[in-house]
Formats: sequence, C-alpha cells, structure tokens
Amino acid sequence: MYYGLLGILAVAYLVPVTWVVSTSLRTEANLLRPDQWIPNPITLEHYTSGLYEALPNLGRYTYNTLRISILSTVGMLLSCSLAGYALARWRFPLRNLWFFGLLATMMVPGHVTLIPTYVLFRKLGWLNTPNPLIIPAFFGSPFATFFFRQFFLSFPRELEDAATLDGAGALRTFVGIVVPVSKPAFVALGVLHFTGSWNGFFLPIIYLTRKDQWVLTQAIRSMLGRYDSPWGEIMAGVVLMTLPIIVLYMLVQRYFVQGITFTGIRG
Amino acid sequence: MRLRSPSGLGLNLWRDASPRARRQWLTAYAFMSLQLIGLFVFILGPLLVSLYYTFTKWDLIAPAPKWTGLRNWLHFFGDARIGQVLGNTLWFILWATSSFLLLSLALAVLLHQRRRGTTLFRALFFIPYITSQVAVGLVWSWMFNTRSGPIPNFFRLFGIEIPNLLLDESYAMIAVALVATWQALGYGITIYLAGLQGIPGELYDASSVDGASGWQRFRFVTLPLLSPTVLFLTVTSFIAAFQLFDLVIILTGGATGVAPGGPGGSTRTIVLYLYEQTFLFSERISGLGYGATIGWMLAVLIFIVTMAQFRFARSTVFFLEDSD
Repeated sequence: MYYGLLGILAVAYLVPVTWVVSTSLRTEANLLRPDQWIPNPITLEHYTSGLYEALPNLGRYTYNTLRISILSTVGMLLSCSLAGYALARWRFPLRNLWFFGLLATMMVPGHVTLIPTYVLFRKLGWLNTPNPLIIPAFFGSPFATFFFRQFFLSFPRELEDAATLDGAGALRTFVGIVVPVSKPAFVALGVLHFTGSWNGFFLPIIYLTRKDQWVLTQAIRSMLGRYDSPWGEIMAGVVLMTLPIIVLYMLVQRYFVQGITFTGIRG
Repeated sequence: MRLRSPSGLGLNLWRDASPRARRQWLTAYAFMSLQLIGLFVFILGPLLVSLYYTFTKWDLIAPAPKWTGLRNWLHFFGDARIGQVLGNTLWFILWATSSFLLLSLALAVLLHQRRRGTTLFRALFFIPYITSQVAVGLVWSWMFNTRSGPIPNFFRLFGIEIPNLLLDESYAMIAVALVATWQALGYGITIYLAGLQGIPGELYDASSVDGASGWQRFRFVTLPLLSPTVLFLTVTSFIAAFQLFDLVIILTGGATGVAPGGPGGSTRTIVLYLYEQTFLFSERISGLGYGATIGWMLAVLIFIVTMAQFRFARSTVFFLEDSD
C-alpha cells in the first residue's frame, strides 16, 4: 500500500522525464504520436546526425560551458573557504560587521547590482568573453562564505592546534589539515555552484551575445523555432545536457547530504 | 594598567594588541581579502551606483548618464505595465510557493517512514531540481502542446478537450507555477527530511503513550518542531519566486509562437520587464536608468516581504530549547 502510493507518485512525477527520453528516441515519423511511450522503432539519429546538423558548434558550446563552470567553481571554493574559515576561527576587529554585512547582502537580488556590474565589465572590454561569469566567483559569494563558516564552526579545533604547535603557518595548516577533512563542505558547495553555473541562462544571454561564446543553455534554446521546432533534437539536447549533472550528483551524493546536514541549513 | 588615549579607537586597538594578536588580525584579513573586495566591488558598490542610475537616463551610447531627477521614479509609479508585472509576479508567488511548501512537506512525511527503497525515490525526485530551467521549460512546453502532449491527451481520456494552457491568458501563469513546483519539489523534500530527522524520537513515543492520533502527532509534535525548517523554506522560496525569469522566457516564448511574457503580457515578471527595459527595447523609457529603478524596487519588495516573514515567525516558529 505504502509502496503503491509512492510508486504512483513517482510515476506521475517522472512522466515528463520519460516523455523527454522517449521523444528523443523516436523516428521523425513517430515524433508527434501521443501513444509512443516506448518508441518503436528506436533511433539514435537525433543524438548523432540530427543534433550535429542543428548545432554544428556543439563542441564549442560544451567547451565554453565547461570552462565557465569549472573555473568559477574553483574561484568560489577558494575565496569563500578562506573567508569562511577566518570568520569561524579568529577574533579580529570588525569581524561581526563583516559577518552581518555578508548575511544582509544574501538577500540582495543579483538584478539590482547587475546594471552597474554590466557597465563595469563593458568598460573592461569583457562583453562576449567568459570573464564576467568567472572572475566575480574569485571574489566570494556571501551565501557560500556563510555556509563555509557554519561548517568550520562545527569543526574540532584540536587538529589545527597541534599543527600550530609545530610552527606551521596559518595557510599551511588550512591547506594541509583543514581542507582534506572538510570534503563534505567543499563537495556540497562545489557541486551546487557547478550545477548553477552549468544550468545558467540569465547571465549568459546578457554577457555572451556572440554565437561563438554561447553556452549550452543558449544553444539548446536557439533550436526553438517560432512556429515549428525540431523536437527530437531538442529533447536529445536536453538529455545530453542533464546527464553529466545527474552522474555528478550520483558520484557525490553521500558527501552532498552530509554537507547539507552539517551546516544546519535545516534551520 | 595602561591609560587609553581618547583618539582613534582603531589605532588604540592596534597599539594595545599583543604581537600575537596583531599577527592573527593580519592573517584573518588576508584570508578575508578576496571576499571583502568582492563585497565592495560586486555588491555594495554596484548597489550604490545602481541607486544613482535610477536618477539618470543613459542608453550606453552617450558617454555618461544624464541626470533626470525623479523622472524614473515618477514614471515607475505611473507605469500601467508595472501594475500588471507586479500582479503577475504575485500571482505566480501565490501559486508556486503554496503548492511547493505543502506538496514537498506531504511527500517528505511520506518518505520519512524509513522503509527500504525510499532512497531511490528521493534520488528520483531530485532529478528535476538539478536540471536547468531552460531544459525544464523546453520539456514542459512540449508536454502542454495540444497535438501530442501528454497533458491534453490525459484529459482527452475523459473526453475533455483542453487548450494549450501556456497560450491561455488566464491559465498561463498558473501553468508556469505548476512547472516551477514540479522542479523544486526534490529540494523541498530534502530540506524537510533533514528537519524531520532532527526531531527526537522520544517525543513521538511520549505522544503515542498519551494516545495521540496520527494527525494529532503531526499537528502538535511534527509541525511545531519543523517550523524553523518551514520558515527557512518559506523565506528562500519567496525570494526565488520574486526573481522568476529563465522558466518564463522559455515556456512562454518561442515554442508557443508568442513573445516571452505572453500571452497578452500575462506572464511578464518583474525581472523579465527589467531585462526588456535594460537590454532589449529600442523604445525603452530611459535605458539603464529605468532598469535600475525596477531592480531597486525589486530589492525593496524582497526586503519588506522577508522582514514581514521573520516578524510573523517570532510568534509562530518554535525552537527546541537545547538546539544550538
């Protein structure tokens, strides 16, 4: 009974997912058939020739997306883990001011700061380069810094004390001792940020208007026609774009749940 | 004991500190430096500059913004479009947040019953959440289509012919909210489950001994102890809903043959309007200036609503005494 209910819910919930996969595997003639839940015959043409014809530069878009996602994740982890650690470990003048300042700015929507930032990047000649989507990550993110602080607060101090007695500098202690045992926090935040960046659409359509700079979300969206669209290819694109993220989550699921629970996001 | 000179508190702190403390301060600031630069360059600075832009007109072609005083603000409060846009956004928030908060709570309670196999369900529900809104939007615009979409077909089983909801002025926004809820459920479930796991089992045992029914246990044990989680999810889902953009631009633009924000402007949100006014329309009111005005009003609205929620929470949210 319990499993029956859950099963029905899961099926209803996953109808769209099934429909995407099924559409992407249908032949052109069967594309609009409402009864083809299991495609017959199954074809991979949308994934191979179809997608390649619709988006000849797919490789380029994938490279652009990967570059932005990886570099901005690295930048965010670097700047926010350092700041979160300082806020959690040391007393220093104005610490509380900075902490509450960061907390308060978590509420500020990116859309208010967007326009001046756009003007700044335009002056720097960064339009149609990946910089606007990468460089800011190297200068922190209030949410991630807060998250790291919470994590390091719940973290025993004894390990570092031992290292300090050895005379290791703060940075060496951090890199050598703190980072290796903080995997859950790094993984949870890194995956969250990577996914957000990989899936992003608003900033790319503002900063990356030239076709050779496009990311995957823009490329897949561009297949939408005004009246008619190549739905087989679009769905194949959706599957290809989503699979890496699903695999990523499956690989890190354990750390991810730990990371979320540790930091008390639960309130 | 040393005498404190009255001048310059910061300097005094520095002078009176031990060398060890000084070293620690420097280290702390070095660790903080990237985030602090970011706070000023990418958040606080732009926040102020953006406020300045609201008093100017600038199309980015002229060398500098031109001061226009209160023109943007006066225009904002007289703009009929703004009325519609705010209404649309609030209508979306109403549907999306209420369905999200209730459905994910119900599912989390169901999944919390620690039976085997629930991990699989939890993972399944998480898939849409980690999928791009662009992908989700494309999928659902395909789901709603009247030729082969599963939704119109489902209703056809009962002999009901429904239109493409995304093309119907009175239903388009509700359809968008439905999609947003579908996508976010997995996240809500995960957070609720973390909250449910934090509730001590003894409380349930005690209430069972007292003869409480399942519903009473939920109402008088689970719900109060879960209220911090509910507050967290309420606040964050409102903030996210205020900023709806990606989903709407995909769901109601292109595939359906209407401009984004359609039909009849019924799904134009605050952020979509900001985007159009800043980056799209050639006939825009005052370019960046009006866009900045819309952005500032969005921030103010979010601030007011969030504060109101925390105020309301003071009387309703229940914190366990011993939880940190």
